[in-house]
Amino acid sequence: MKKRLMFVAALALTGTLFAGNTLAEEWTREFEGESLTFLDVAPNDVRTSYYEELFEKFYEDTGIEVEYQSVPWDDAADKITVLGASGNLPDILTTWSGWLGQFTESEWVVPLSDYIGDSIDEYTDVITDCYWKSEKTRYGDIYTVPDGWMVKGIYVRKDWCEELGIELDPTQDWTWDDYFDLVEKLTDAEKGRYGATYRGARGGFDIILTYMQGFTEGATFDQDGKILINSEECQEAFKKWTDMYLNGYAPEDSINWGFAEMVDNFKGGLTGTLINDSEVAATLIDAMEDDQWMVMPFPVSAKDGICYNTMGAPYAYSMSSFCENKDAAWLLLQYMTTAENQADYCVLTGQIPIKKEASDLDYYSEDGYYGAFLHQMNQENVAIPATYGPFDYTDLHQGLLHEEVQSYLLGDESAEDALNNICTALQERMDEYLAENPDTEIETALFVSK
Amino acid sequence: MSLATKRKLQPYLYIAPIMILLLLMFGYPLIKSIVMSFQDYKLTKLNKIHWNNFKNYKNMISDKNFWLLVKNSLVYVITSVIGQFLLGLGLALALNKRFRGRGVYQSIVFLPWAFSSFVVGLLFRWSFNGEYGVINDLLKKMGVIEKGISWLGTPGYSLAVIIFAMIWIGIPFFAINILAALQSVPAEIYEAADVDGCGTFRKFFSLTLPFIKPTIIMTILLRTIWIFNSFDLVVIITEGGPANYSQTLPSYMYSQAFSSYDFGMAGALGVLLMVVLSVYAVIFLKVTNYDKAGDF
Repeated sequence: MKKRLMFVAALALTGTLFAGNTLAEEWTREFEGESLTFLDVAPNDVRTSYYEELFEKFYEDTGIEVEYQSVPWDDAADKITVLGASGNLPDILTTWSGWLGQFTESEWVVPLSDYIGDSIDEYTDVITDCYWKSEKTRYGDIYTVPDGWMVKGIYVRKDWCEELGIELDPTQDWTWDDYFDLVEKLTDAEKGRYGATYRGARGGFDIILTYMQGFTEGATFDQDGKILINSEECQEAFKKWTDMYLNGYAPEDSINWGFAEMVDNFKGGLTGTLINDSEVAATLIDAMEDDQWMVMPFPVSAKDGICYNTMGAPYAYSMSSFCENKDAAWLLLQYMTTAENQADYCVLTGQIPIKKEASDLDYYSEDGYYGAFLHQMNQENVAIPATYGPFDYTDLHQGLLHEEVQSYLLGDESAEDALNNICTALQERMDEYLAENPDTEIETALFVSK
Repeated sequence: MSLATKRKLQPYLYIAPIMILLLLMFGYPLIKSIVMSFQDYKLTKLNKIHWNNFKNYKNMISDKNFWLLVKNSLVYVITSVIGQFLLGLGLALALNKRFRGRGVYQSIVFLPWAFSSFVVGLLFRWSFNGEYGVINDLLKKMGVIEKGISWLGTPGYSLAVIIFAMIWIGIPFFAINILAALQSVPAEIYEAADVDGCGTFRKFFSLTLPFIKPTIIMTILLRTIWIFNSFDLVVIITEGGPANYSQTLPSYMYSQAFSSYDFGMAGALGVLLMVVLSVYAVIFLKVTNYDKAGDF
């Protein structure tokens, strides 16, 4: 954390970038004496101390007290569901995009379009043209303000590649087949080195879906609501992906790995590549030497040459429908996302700012740590693929999706059966949803730079 | 109100507070879960709750994992109880003899019972980690294995790790109870047996065992019910993985309630567990002649 803290400290000391803005900013004290509650779903030392300091500043500027609450990520979905069902949600909560179907169906969060209003111009293009556009398509309105932006990339052990004479250029496109070759080359089980950090537990099907979407133009369903990922090409893709595990290019234990194990084992030197969000860069900057790792952009589809990257907001702020003072809550939301606060937050948590002014920082230049991520945001062949669907799939994500893949990996069923079971479950959800919401616009891939 | 009536009412008034508390804390959730088991009750769709007759029960039986869960649950409970009982009995017999440092030794071996399941779960999860775990390291150094075993990622092994953890945590409970029972056996009967020329085995099977039988029966009954209902170690060590190979009925019930938010299905599983355990308790007490235990 030292390197990132030093940068934030330097920002604070010089104060050059946002000084004018900060001095000019005057916050209304209309809601003085009010109190709000805020729920963080991914607490850690960095985030918690950041929020607590921010809320102290907010109190000084507006007179509104904010109570910081948190719940560990693994329990967050359960906790929010219980809070929502009992009508006790906090005023502002951090959410994850996968939960939004459930939240909007249950009417636990309120639309934010009217609150955002003209300030929409302050946000980067990717937020307005992709993130919010996608949210409007799926849920009919904007329900969240992202806390930052994350782009997926492939972290690679640079030192291993140098040892093996492998040259990688992060400014050039590469295909998934190139990636599979790299994984194979980096594997040396005798030395305790594996090419892939395979995710077998919860969330393990997400990346398989993205890879398969390279054969469906980034879609999950066609315009009639019929699932597309059960085609022969997708079945082949499914097998190809899972072959990384079956061929021994990933540790056997990884059938049960989730996010924490993935990052730990890449950091610890067991695995040579790691597919994950830019968020992980913040951890690696602190934990590894600069000459040990690098980031490659997401590979492009061999079929259409498009790089489908599930970039998005890791977490986002939403306002609870149970909030009694929504104007005060919006004020807090605005405060949290000023360019200045955004910059501090993003540097500390490894994200890319959502405000134009903050994203101009040198820290986010293309030759910095985030170069490969930003490079992808500026390419014309990069698109955000569709999600699983507009319906509530929390339970599938927590169980069936990865369990079916695990069953295949253990030899209990064929790849075709595993994928068919997944597709059947998703199709049933979609049919049910479309029956209730016949005017739903089916999601397609969204191009980032068009 | 007459004095006689008051006296009649008195005991009921004394127990009324605890009865009300029990009804609120146990009665209401019990009835509510039975009711939910006949409903389409999803926490995410509270505005669409409706009766669905036996649909949850049908879905439960037709779930492709159901029989795997039943098998896992039986293996988990039977091996854990047997392991805990045998090792607990051995420990109690050892501690029943006086030796130097017995107090210290007793405190150490009883420690696992004081640990929270969460701590024990994490301890086993990391000890049995396929790449960095101390167990693989020890086995390799001892020459038992050449390559690390993926304990938590292999069907069979993953459940075995949970069973080891459960046995380890439960030995002290058996040992404490059996030791207490052993210490209540009068020394005179052993002296009489010595006079009659009884050997060690005869004394154990004809005197000690019948004497401590009520304790053993009750301890086995309680532990079986507790182990059957416990899901914490499963959730912490493997989360039921891989592909439900270490999932048991209670942990599946937990995941239905708090991952799928399907309280209807979770209710159906809860009712099933309640029925199974009630039937087990009645049969177990009957078969073991609990009411006659301890009679000579």
